[in-house]
Amino acid sequence: MDILYLLIPLSAVLVLGILGVFAWALHGGQFDDLEQHGEQILEASTDSLDTHQRG
Amino acid sequence: MEVNTQTAPSVNYTDGPVRGFALAAVVWGVVGMLVGVIIAALLAFPDLTYGIPWLSYGRLRPLHTNAVIFAFGGCALMATSLHVVQRTCQVPLFLPKLAGFVFWGWQLVIVAAAITLPLGITQGKEYAELEWPIDLLIAVVWVAYAIVFFGTIGMRKVRHIYVANWFFGSFIIAVALLHIVNSAAMPVSLWKSYSAYAGVQDAMVQWWYGHNAVGFFLTAGFLGMMYYYIPKQAERPVYSYRLSIVHFWALIFTYMWAGPHHLHYTALPDWAQSVGMVFSLVLLAPSWGGMINGMMTLSGAWHKLRDDPILKFLIVALSFYGMSTFEGPMMSIKTVNSLSHYTDWGIAHVHSGSLGWVGLISMGSLYYLIPRMFGRKEMYSVPAINLHFWIATLGIVLYIAAMWIAGVMQGLMWRALNADGTLVYTFVESVKATWPFYVVRLIGGLLYLGGMLVMAWNVVMTVRSGRALPSPIPRLALA
Amino acid sequence: MDRAATLAAPTGTVEVDARPPPSPPPAAVLDDEVEYARFTRWLPTEGGQRTAESSLRIGGMHCTACATTIEQALRRVDGVIDAHVSAAAQCATVQWQVARTRPSALVSAIERAGYSAAPDTAAGARALRRKESRDALWRLFVAGFCAMQVMMLATPSYVSSAGALAPDLKQLLDWGSWLLTLPVMLFAAAPFFTGAWRSLRAGRIGMDVPAALGMLVAFIASSGAAFDPGGLFGHEVYFDSLTMFVSFLLGGRYLEMRSRHRAEASLEASIARLPEIALRENADGSVSPVSVLRLQRGDVVRVPVGQAFCADGVLTQGRTRADESLLSGESAPVDKAVGDVVVAGSLNLGAPVAMRVERVGADTRYEAIVAMMREARRQRPSVQHGADRWAAPFLWAVLLLAAGAAAVWSTIDPSRAVWVAVSVLIVTCPCALSLAAPSALLSSATAMARDGVMLRHIEAIEGLARMQTLFLDKTGTLTQAQGQGVQMIRIDHGPRWSAAALRGTAASLAAWSTHPLAQALAKENEGSGAAWRDLAETPGQGMQGRAIDGSVWRLGKPPATHAAANEAGDVETWLSCDGAPVACFHFAETLRADAVAAVRALEHDGVRIALVSGDTPARVERIGRLLGITDRRGGMTPQDKLAAVREAQARGERVAMLGDGINDAPVLAQADTSLAMGEGAQIARAQADGVLVSNALHDVVQARALAKKTLRVVHQNFVWAAAYNAACVPLALLGWLPPWAAGLGMATSSLVVVLNSLRLAR
Repeated sequence: MDILYLLIPLSAVLVLGILGVFAWALHGGQFDDLEQHGEQILEASTDSLDTHQRG
Repeated sequence: MEVNTQTAPSVNYTDGPVRGFALAAVVWGVVGMLVGVIIAALLAFPDLTYGIPWLSYGRLRPLHTNAVIFAFGGCALMATSLHVVQRTCQVPLFLPKLAGFVFWGWQLVIVAAAITLPLGITQGKEYAELEWPIDLLIAVVWVAYAIVFFGTIGMRKVRHIYVANWFFGSFIIAVALLHIVNSAAMPVSLWKSYSAYAGVQDAMVQWWYGHNAVGFFLTAGFLGMMYYYIPKQAERPVYSYRLSIVHFWALIFTYMWAGPHHLHYTALPDWAQSVGMVFSLVLLAPSWGGMINGMMTLSGAWHKLRDDPILKFLIVALSFYGMSTFEGPMMSIKTVNSLSHYTDWGIAHVHSGSLGWVGLISMGSLYYLIPRMFGRKEMYSVPAINLHFWIATLGIVLYIAAMWIAGVMQGLMWRALNADGTLVYTFVESVKATWPFYVVRLIGGLLYLGGMLVMAWNVVMTVRSGRALPSPIPRLALA
Repeated sequence: MDRAATLAAPTGTVEVDARPPPSPPPAAVLDDEVEYARFTRWLPTEGGQRTAESSLRIGGMHCTACATTIEQALRRVDGVIDAHVSAAAQCATVQWQVARTRPSALVSAIERAGYSAAPDTAAGARALRRKESRDALWRLFVAGFCAMQVMMLATPSYVSSAGALAPDLKQLLDWGSWLLTLPVMLFAAAPFFTGAWRSLRAGRIGMDVPAALGMLVAFIASSGAAFDPGGLFGHEVYFDSLTMFVSFLLGGRYLEMRSRHRAEASLEASIARLPEIALRENADGSVSPVSVLRLQRGDVVRVPVGQAFCADGVLTQGRTRADESLLSGESAPVDKAVGDVVVAGSLNLGAPVAMRVERVGADTRYEAIVAMMREARRQRPSVQHGADRWAAPFLWAVLLLAAGAAAVWSTIDPSRAVWVAVSVLIVTCPCALSLAAPSALLSSATAMARDGVMLRHIEAIEGLARMQTLFLDKTGTLTQAQGQGVQMIRIDHGPRWSAAALRGTAASLAAWSTHPLAQALAKENEGSGAAWRDLAETPGQGMQGRAIDGSVWRLGKPPATHAAANEAGDVETWLSCDGAPVACFHFAETLRADAVAAVRALEHDGVRIALVSGDTPARVERIGRLLGITDRRGGMTPQDKLAAVREAQARGERVAMLGDGINDAPVLAQADTSLAMGEGAQIARAQADGVLVSNALHDVVQARALAKKTLRVVHQNFVWAAAYNAACVPLALLGWLPPWAAGLGMATSSLVVVLNSLRLAR
């Protein structure tokens, strides 16, 4: 199972990377006031409607 | 909508690539499913293609898998991720020309696959059959895709990054990592290379890739789709936004180590197989958390399912997701696996996940997206969406029921022993016994393809009766 | 009372102030830079423009879309750079340019959008809590995530049969585990190490010491086993146990921190102070409201009755009495005449006066006392002292036991010596002992706050549970502060004044008093707007003032000649002019709806109720009989009440007092536990250990029940902590508890305590 010599260090590096991303998100306030962000995407859309449509 | 142009000209979203990928997804969906129907037919009627090499089962199967996963699924993911990232960040795409390159590059990859695979040019690794030049192109296009996606997030005007983008982002990074590691190869000629890994080591890498491809490409990416299009179509926020964040991180925690469950009872060391089994079981919890979160979004509004066929697609997709993410861990238990490995149960599992989850969620999302990309509120024909839904669902049910029965039957037949320890059945006998189920599966597949053709027609009519209009970004967000 | 807003996420970390924000101060004060500094911070100057970031509390939000509406309204204000509104926390953060707009404009914009806004002075404390919460979550995530990965790397060792795992592969897995344990040891577990170090430097064994020691030993021994499998530490590694129990411990602490934050937020709400306004006299004799922070030496300030003196200074006009008990401990009011020194924080009891400011802000004695009080509040309640006394010897015992176990096992089976010692160190949980009382008290305080009793001092919980005698005031406490309708009976039928004029005079005089009856009178009638001079209020007697024409009016107790006539009937207050009674006002006094039930419930619970009131003995007698209170005394002056409390305390009784009026203030301070009615005078509320914001007597009954339950929970927590240690330490000593189980046990033990305490908050 020599391949683990690749996969395990790889996953260790990945873990450090994931920790870094979480830290960035946490300290950047991404996890504050969560519930209102669920609703934010529902606000009025600006997709243009074509008024001259056939059919 | 009136746009205030007093202080600065309004900026529009970059929807060109989104439109391109959305339409490409429909086209490649038809192609991939057609190839699937052909090989399903070949399994029941082997002489169907008169022994023509480039229409043989061995060569068409990888074409089918690549087409449905990377062409259909990939274009759907790219269309929706680029749509969602712009709308949730309220900015146009970063480096729009690069996005154009991603589109054309990806189409080139697909076409190259469509040509080389039937020609028998293959690396022989499942879901990674494409030879090294195409692998390189994939890597380049993928890096470009990552730059466009993450660059757009970097330029966002909304501080909070909506949860769907986390799923999309993790899918993009994971696939890049998996592809680069697994496709490492030594080329010996333009269309031939040897894997950097050998034997059981290669198997481990391959299935580390293979399972995580399922996990990140086919799950995380499409969960991103789900978390945006279900709330938008249902006009309700996600049931628990907090849970969606927890769901994301829980999934990230556990996915990486489930790979070995593809290698039970092989040359892979016992303990490695056990590790895979344990963590596959652990995966059940976060997966179901996501499913419940998505479904409960409709809590208090279940009546919408009655009249809205798009919601039917989206919600039924989630129930197939739940089913598959329960079935998977069960199948990774060694004792269960000793029955199911190499049988058609595996096919049933794959197709409940792909036809049921990936297919339906993509169709539902595209039905939402495409009309809006052409200045319409809805598809040209809503009854046609409904028709598609029912045909597709019927197709799925026939498909997986047939394959379940076939799979369990095969497993039981293969392990049936006489009193003196000899096998009761020859392999051929099990094949013959499976034949009727292959026919039923073919019918299921035809129905599913039929539904896709209905969709293709509907899309053509929608595009013809609509117009690609620029979509302005809301003014207040630019303040 | 406005309960917690429905917008708060069910499991959220957000804090919601249970009350709607009071109306904002006038624009002049709001826009005063000195004042808005209390809810604003400065941002780096952008392109030469001074930029500020202000925090405002928003009222009237009923859905999360409101947040966007308010944000847009704020962004439209010229000079606003950005606005962010949190629906869950109901507050807004606005960045604005000092040169182009002002806080009052922000408030107006919000009001025009249909909501209310007030400065958010608690924003600073909230920001600190948010930072603490984020840091704790980050540590927990690192520990948990790494623990998960280490667990994956450790699983092969558990599931492989002997010899199936090649040694070099095992070493790879161990090295990987070591690497992933590093972030846990160096970062996530750091609070344990720093806590242990600090306590050791202070010369004592703190509760972090065994935990830190255990982690350190486990890490060193596992590292030894990982890098030198043939060496003295053996070849078994325990990185998975180590990271797991760090995660469990941090998880327990995180939950405890969350419950503490919730309690702090709700307690803070009850004493959060609005900008204090002083009425500064201008050169032309007019009065303008200014922020207290603006006052300077030499300013002349008017101080109404019932307010606290806002600065140290000298009386320049009027005569009054001041309650300096906050500072001197002397509860008898002190006479103040022109030229006398008055102290910031003391309460103006007698009459409206004017003073000249000598010292302000932190220089005042008041601030010094507040600082002392804050320090005193940090002292542990007596329930905790018991636990503290046990903690030190307990920890010493743990260390000795661990060392002893290592010594003994090194003779029996050396390879296990280290691990047994680690298990002993880890499994013992002094943290359960230290969490036992605080977690319960905090949860309880949160629940009480939600149910109408805001506690300023958490020790009051103990007092409520243990009180033996409860002294109750009558008027305003047991009876409704607002009369049902005031009936005037003219005594003087002469032509000098019309009925309306009499009512008006009475009402305008009554407006200067905070006595419940006077307030009712002022409410029922339009004041005549007459200007009064030489106002004087005698607690228990009445209000007196000189009108413009020189006549002296008195509103209060009936003159002696008429006293006997109406002792048992309705409550009355008499208006007299120059000594001659002119009119009599009747109040239909009503008992509070839940008074009878509350009194009965408390007596049933073993509390002796005493009714002490300044009202006539006959009326007190009547009310007392209605309520079934045997110990009822009327005609009591504030001094009498004080004496009654002291007498009960001398008899060894634990005394609690529930009152509302100005004259109750010194008595509230004397009682062991005091509660003030929410509708009561500011003074009473400022002195008491807790405020009955709901004004419902029934809530006192509930609070006591909860307080008793709290003490039971504290006791349960202590018992659990003791039993757990008694059971687990022997198991660890015998070698039956592997380190991972020890870690699980320790964390579970703390969690059990915290969860048990959280029951109180439901």
